[in-house]
Amino acid sequence: MTEVKLKDDEKRMLAGEEGHAKQLCMEYLVEAAQIAGAESLIDLDGTGDMHSPGLKLSSYYELTIDDLKELVDKGEHFKIPTFADKSPFPEQPPIDGWEGCPICSYRNEELRHDDPVFHKKALHEEEYELLRKLGMFTSHSCANYLTMTYWPTIGQHCSWFESSQIPYCNAVLGARTNFDGSFATCFLGKAPYWGMHITENRYGTVLIKTDRLIHTDLEWDVYGYAAGEAAGCRVPVLTGTAKPTTSQFQKLNSAIHTGGGVDMYHIPGSTPEAPTLEAAFGGKAPAEEIMVGEAELRKAYDYLNYHKTDRVDMVYLGCPHYNLVDIEKICWKMEGRKVKIPTWIMTNPWLYDICRKMGFLKILTDAGIKLMSGACLAAMGAVPGGVECIAVDTAKQANYVTGCYPDIDSKLQVCYGTTEECLDAAVTGIWRGEWK
Amino acid sequence: MAGRVEIVMEKIRIYGRTEYPGKVEAEALVSEKPLQGFTNVDPVQGFTTERLHPLFRVPYTGKVLVFPSQRGSGGFLKYGRGNKPAAFIHTESSSLNVLCALEAHVPAMTDFERDPMEVIETGDMVFVNADEGYIEITKK
Repeated sequence: MTEVKLKDDEKRMLAGEEGHAKQLCMEYLVEAAQIAGAESLIDLDGTGDMHSPGLKLSSYYELTIDDLKELVDKGEHFKIPTFADKSPFPEQPPIDGWEGCPICSYRNEELRHDDPVFHKKALHEEEYELLRKLGMFTSHSCANYLTMTYWPTIGQHCSWFESSQIPYCNAVLGARTNFDGSFATCFLGKAPYWGMHITENRYGTVLIKTDRLIHTDLEWDVYGYAAGEAAGCRVPVLTGTAKPTTSQFQKLNSAIHTGGGVDMYHIPGSTPEAPTLEAAFGGKAPAEEIMVGEAELRKAYDYLNYHKTDRVDMVYLGCPHYNLVDIEKICWKMEGRKVKIPTWIMTNPWLYDICRKMGFLKILTDAGIKLMSGACLAAMGAVPGGVECIAVDTAKQANYVTGCYPDIDSKLQVCYGTTEECLDAAVTGIWRGEWK
Repeated sequence: MAGRVEIVMEKIRIYGRTEYPGKVEAEALVSEKPLQGFTNVDPVQGFTTERLHPLFRVPYTGKVLVFPSQRGSGGFLKYGRGNKPAAFIHTESSSLNVLCALEAHVPAMTDFERDPMEVIETGDMVFVNADEGYIEITKK
């Protein structure tokens, strides 16, 4: 087992000299460091993102609401600016748009997201009142970087969660995080020092080439999935693509950590730690060169499409949570039109309020589209009853939403394509998507 | 004519890094494809629910689960809950394994001197000695 060398303040916390909560958090961090092979903890100077309320650090370390109250009474705060990932656990209710959301939480018919009593309980307001006093920003998003207004700067050490956010923090922002955001890391401002915190581990190790210019949203999404599969947990350097937009970065990051386990990548000329190809590799030669071209993209597209029928029962957009520009574009397309089948768009609660002020909410509602916030369809563990085929525009949702249906007899089918193809299906009920 | 047949049970020992300590011997279940958690694992029934995955609905409970790497959501930690494997053996390591081992508290090892995926097949017996930092494989 790895021996973890603690600093004096860390030893004091571990010994319980600073109270029960800090001791428990420190015990958890030491165990995490041992597992990771980290010989020390690093003091974080960036930001935090954690699934909340997050009192259960693991099955073996759990804080109580009384622990939180004690910390509040002492005037304690999170050591780093800390943001709440998606909706409250474990129910993960939509924050907005829960009314008329006919989903049974994890297919338990007694727990319906459109039941006001269940919804109120699922918001865990007692915990959040305390967490906000401790300094948590209850932003409730899987794409917190869209709203946090306070981003970590290049080189800052962070502790985030959420597969799509990890490469966003590392590759796009140039800050440094492992996949470890928790109450322990955010409250103490410490994390096991290994992986993406260390410069040497951030250089590219595998070169990915393509023979098709990656420039549309769907291309970025399919490419992300295929590149992730090819890279595994390594650090790929992506070459031959166009420069991604913010929406495309969202898709790339969520797809590359779905097809694979990519915490960090480089796009020379686009991402901050790769001014050149040579810099991306830290002056070394790549261990492998891999082609993710027409054939690989086609294969990924076909894998992500999982349907025999072209009759679509529902459209789900907003994985990861949509940004304002994505929503505005949909408003432009859908103003004055009507959808034929349930069509849901997920964003985060803070942007939902802006959508209301901008008039987007009205346009979407008039078109029959349901704008929601905070949650994730797959994370709610079910789709509305009767839905057998769903259309989505991201690899991440396409890959996970069928997992809610492990019964061989009740397979959910998935149509996967562009946002425009999904909107066409929303209006016609028919899937006409194709890989061009 | 040979008067005696000697059956030697050959064991292959590979050293690696211990993530979580402990000792256990059990049958191996090898996943050729990286594993994914969140909705794509069912910790109650103890199998992966990822569509088209080679291990779709293949029970891992009580087995030494061997895989090349892990991908996707932090919900990978669900492999460490409920009807979990007896041990985790994997080639590549990442944060997802840390989350999983924190949940599972069963022997877990990685960073081997020789890739266990090249040696272990489903059905082999694997002695995981994470206390002393090696695995020992008896071919089926």
